Amino acid sequence: MNPETVQTIIDDLGALLLFTMILIIAARQISHAIHAVAAQSLLIAIAGAVLATATGNEDLWVIAGVTLAIKAIVLPWVLHWVVRRLNVRREIEPVIAISATLALAVGVVVMSFHLSASLGPVRQAITGNALPVGIALTLLGVLVMATRKTALTQMVGLFASENGIFFTAMAVTQGMPLIIEIGVILDVILAALVMTIMVLRVRSTVDADIADLDRLRG
Amino acid sequence: MAACYGAGALSSLLAWWSGRLALGVGHLAALAGAVVGLGVSLGVLLGDPGRTLTQPLPVVFPFARLSLSVDGLSAYFLLVISLVAVAASIYGPAYLRAHSPDAGPARQAAQVVALNVFLGCMAFVCCAGDALSFLLCWEGMTLASYVLVVSDDRDGENARAGLLYMVMAHGGTALLLVAFLALTERAGAFDFTALRVAAGGLDSATRTTLFFLALGGFATKAGVVPLHVWLPRAHPAAPSHVSALMSGVMLKVAIYGILRFAFDLLAPAVEPLPSSWGWTVLVVGTTSAVLGVLYALQQHDLKRLLAFHSVENIGIILIGVGLAMILWRREIAGGALATVALTAALLHTVNHAAFKGLLFLAAGSVLCRTHVRNMEELGGLARRMPWTAGLFLLGAIAISALPPLNGFVSEWLTFQALLGGASHFRGPAGLSIVFSAAMLALTGGLAAACFAKAFGVTFLGRPRTPHAEHATEAPPSMIAGMVWLGAVCVALGVAPGYAMRLLDAPTAELLHGPGASAVVTARGPLVLSAALTPSGTNATAISMTVVAALLIALTAMAWVLRRGLRRAPQRGAPTWTCGMSPTARFDYTATAFAKPLRLIFATLYHLRREVIRETAGTPYVVRRIHYTGEVMDLAETQIYHRVERGISGLSQAIRARSTGRIHGYIAFVLGALFVALLLFGVGPR
Repeated sequence: MNPETVQTIIDDLGALLLFTMILIIAARQISHAIHAVAAQSLLIAIAGAVLATATGNEDLWVIAGVTLAIKAIVLPWVLHWVVRRLNVRREIEPVIAISATLALAVGVVVMSFHLSASLGPVRQAITGNALPVGIALTLLGVLVMATRKTALTQMVGLFASENGIFFTAMAVTQGMPLIIEIGVILDVILAALVMTIMVLRVRSTVDADIADLDRLRG
Repeated sequence: MAACYGAGALSSLLAWWSGRLALGVGHLAALAGAVVGLGVSLGVLLGDPGRTLTQPLPVVFPFARLSLSVDGLSAYFLLVISLVAVAASIYGPAYLRAHSPDAGPARQAAQVVALNVFLGCMAFVCCAGDALSFLLCWEGMTLASYVLVVSDDRDGENARAGLLYMVMAHGGTALLLVAFLALTERAGAFDFTALRVAAGGLDSATRTTLFFLALGGFATKAGVVPLHVWLPRAHPAAPSHVSALMSGVMLKVAIYGILRFAFDLLAPAVEPLPSSWGWTVLVVGTTSAVLGVLYALQQHDLKRLLAFHSVENIGIILIGVGLAMILWRREIAGGALATVALTAALLHTVNHAAFKGLLFLAAGSVLCRTHVRNMEELGGLARRMPWTAGLFLLGAIAISALPPLNGFVSEWLTFQALLGGASHFRGPAGLSIVFSAAMLALTGGLAAACFAKAFGVTFLGRPRTPHAEHATEAPPSMIAGMVWLGAVCVALGVAPGYAMRLLDAPTAELLHGPGASAVVTARGPLVLSAALTPSGTNATAISMTVVAALLIALTAMAWVLRRGLRRAPQRGAPTWTCGMSPTARFDYTATAFAKPLRLIFATLYHLRREVIRETAGTPYVVRRIHYTGEVMDLAETQIYHRVERGISGLSQAIRARSTGRIHGYIAFVLGALFVALLLFGVGPR
C-alpha cells in the first residue's frame, strides 16, 4: 500500500469514527449508543490493521486483534448484559437536551481541527487527519460523560473517550510498544469491571443511580 | 565470586517459596542467604582494594538495564545486614512459635515470606548498580517490613502503626523518586555510572536541591528527628527479630543511601561538597541523638525504648557522616580527619547493628516468656532468665558506650573526629562542632542512665506481676542467636583493629583518600589511636584489649578480695522495711527512676500527668493514688498535629463547597481540558 492510499483510508475511517461519535451523542436509547460504540471500536481495529499492513509492524496486528475482541465484542456484550440485568428504562436521560449537546459537539470538533492546525510540525509526522479526530473523540467522550445522567451512558462515554486516545496514539506513533498498548487495554477492562460492579451494587443495595450520589454529601 | 553472589540471590529467591512449607525451612533459607551475603561481602572487603563485583541482571524492562554491583561501601553494608540477619534467622522460628503459638499456618507463611523478601530486598538495595533496581528493592523492603509490622498481633494499635509507617515511608520514597528521576532523565540511563557522569554537569543549585530531596527521603527511612514519628510505633509492633532487623539494619540502608548520594553520585569532581550539606546533616544528627535518648528515657515499653535509642544512634552515625562531609577536601592534612569521621560513622553502623540487634532479641525473649512489654510489670527476671539477662546487660553496656565493648570504640572515634575537626574551624563553626561533641557526651551519659533503668527495672528486684514471676529461660536457639550478636559486640570492642581493615575499602573508595587503617592506628588488634595530631604523638591512644584485660583483672581482684575478707559469719534475714513485709511495690519503678531527668528536661517533654487520690472520709487517710504520666513528643505536637489540623480544615472547606454532582465534576474536567488546550495548544504557530 502506498502512503497516500493509507492516508485516504485513515481519513475515511476518521470520518466514520466521528460519525459513530455523533451517533452516540444523538442516541435516544442506551442500546443504540452501545451499538455505536461497538462499531467505533470495530473501526479502530480496522484502522489498526490498515496501519499494520502499511508499516509492517506486527505488534499492531496483535493490538488490532485485541481491540476487536475486547472492545468491539466483549465490552458491548457486558454493557448489554448490565442493561438487561438492571432492567432500567431504555431511554437515555440527558442532563442537558440532546440537541444542545450536539451543538456543543460541533463546537468541540471545530476546535480540535483548529487546534491541530496549529501543531504544524507534529502533524507532518501523522497519518492524515488522525490527530484532530482523536482529540475530538476524546473530548466528545468526556462530553457524553458530563451530559448523561445514568452510569451506563457514562460508561459508554468513557469507552468512546478511550477509543479516541487509542486512535490518536496508534496513528501518531505508528504503533506504541506492545506492552503499553496492552496496559491501556487492561486499564479499560479493569475500569469496565469496577464500574459494572459499582453500578450493580449501588442499584441492588440502595436502588439509586450514580446521578443520585450527591445525596451522600455531608 | 559473581557465581557465589548469584547463589546468594538464588537462595533468597528459593526462600520466598519454601516459606510456605514451614517456619524452619524459611528461616534456614534466610540463614543460608545471610551466610552467602557474609561471604560475598568479606570477599570484597578483604580482597584487592578497589575491586567491584558487577553482575548484570536479566532484562525485565525494555528501557533499562539492571545490574548489581558490589563495591567497598556496598559490601560493608551487606556485611552489616548479613551479621544481623544470621542472628535473626537463628532466633526467629523459636520466637514465632513461642510468642504466638496459636498463629495459623497462613500467618506464619506470610511472616516467613515477608522476612525473606525483606532480607533479600535490603541486601539488594545495597548492591544495586542502577537506580531502577535500587528503587524497586527499596520499595520491596518497605512493603515487606509493613507486612511484618502488621502481622504480629491483630489489634488496632499495630494496624495504625503500620499505616503511619506506610505513609511516612512512601512520602520518603516519593522524594527519592524525584531525586533519582531528575538524575536519570539527565543521564538517559539508569545505571549509577551514567548517573555519576550526568551529575558531573549539574550546577550547584540543582545539585544541592537534589541532595536535599534525597536526604529527606533517606532521613524519613532512617527515622531522623523530626521524621521519626513512625519509628517508635512501627518497630515495637513487629516480631522481635524483625524489630532487630528494622532497627539494626533497615535504618542503616538509609545511611547507605545518604553516603552513596553525597560522596558518590552527587559529589562534585574536585571541589569539596557544598557546606550546607554537611552542616545540615551534622545539626540533624545532633538533634536526633539528644532528642532520641531523651524520649527513650521516658519510655516504659521495653521495645519502644529501644526504638527511640535507634533514633539516637542514627543521630550519632549522622554526626560522623556530617562531619566527614564538612571536612572532605577542605582540610590541609591530606583528608585524614574526614576519613576518621567516616570511619567512626561506619564503625558505629556495624556496632549499632550488633548491640541493638542483641537488645531487641533479648527484649523479644522477655516478651515471649512474659507477654508483657511494659517494664513496670516486669522485674526480677535476672534469676529466672539468666542468659537473657546477661546478654541484655552486655548489649546495654555496649550501647551506653562503656569500655571495653564496641559502642565505646565508635563513639570515642566520633569524639576524636569532632574535637579534631573543631580545631580546623574558627568562630561559630568551630564552636558548633564543639557543641555537637558536648551533646554527644550528654547523649552517652543519658543512654547509660536509660539502660541502668531498663536493665534494673526489668531484670533486678522482685517480680511485680505473675507474668514476670512465672517466666522461664528462652529456648536455646533464641539464646544462640543472641550469643552470636553478643560475640560480635565483644569482638568489635576488644579487637577493633581487625574491624579497621574491613573499613579500608569503603572509606578509601568514598573519599578517594587514605583508608581507615592508615589514619586510625590500630596496631594488630591492640592499640587504637587516631593519628590526628601533627606531631604524631599518641596522646589519645587507647588499647581496647588492655582496657578489657585491666577490667577483667580489676573484677577478679575485687572478687578475690571479697572472698578473702569474708570472715564474719553470714546471717540471712528479710530486708527491714519498718515493720511491713516487703513487696515488689517497694522497688524503684521505671517512672520514678526517670523522674529527675523528667524534671530537668520538662520543657522538651510536654509533660502531662494526672494524680487522683482516693481518700476515706477525711483527706488525711489516703486509700489509693492513681498516677498517670505521659510524655508528648515535641515533633508530634508541634509539627504533625498542626499539619493534621491544617489538612482536616482544608478538607472541611472543600466539602462545604463541593456539590457532589458527578456531572458537574466531569464537566469541570472537560472545561479545564478545553481551556488548557486553547491556552497551550494554539501557542506557537
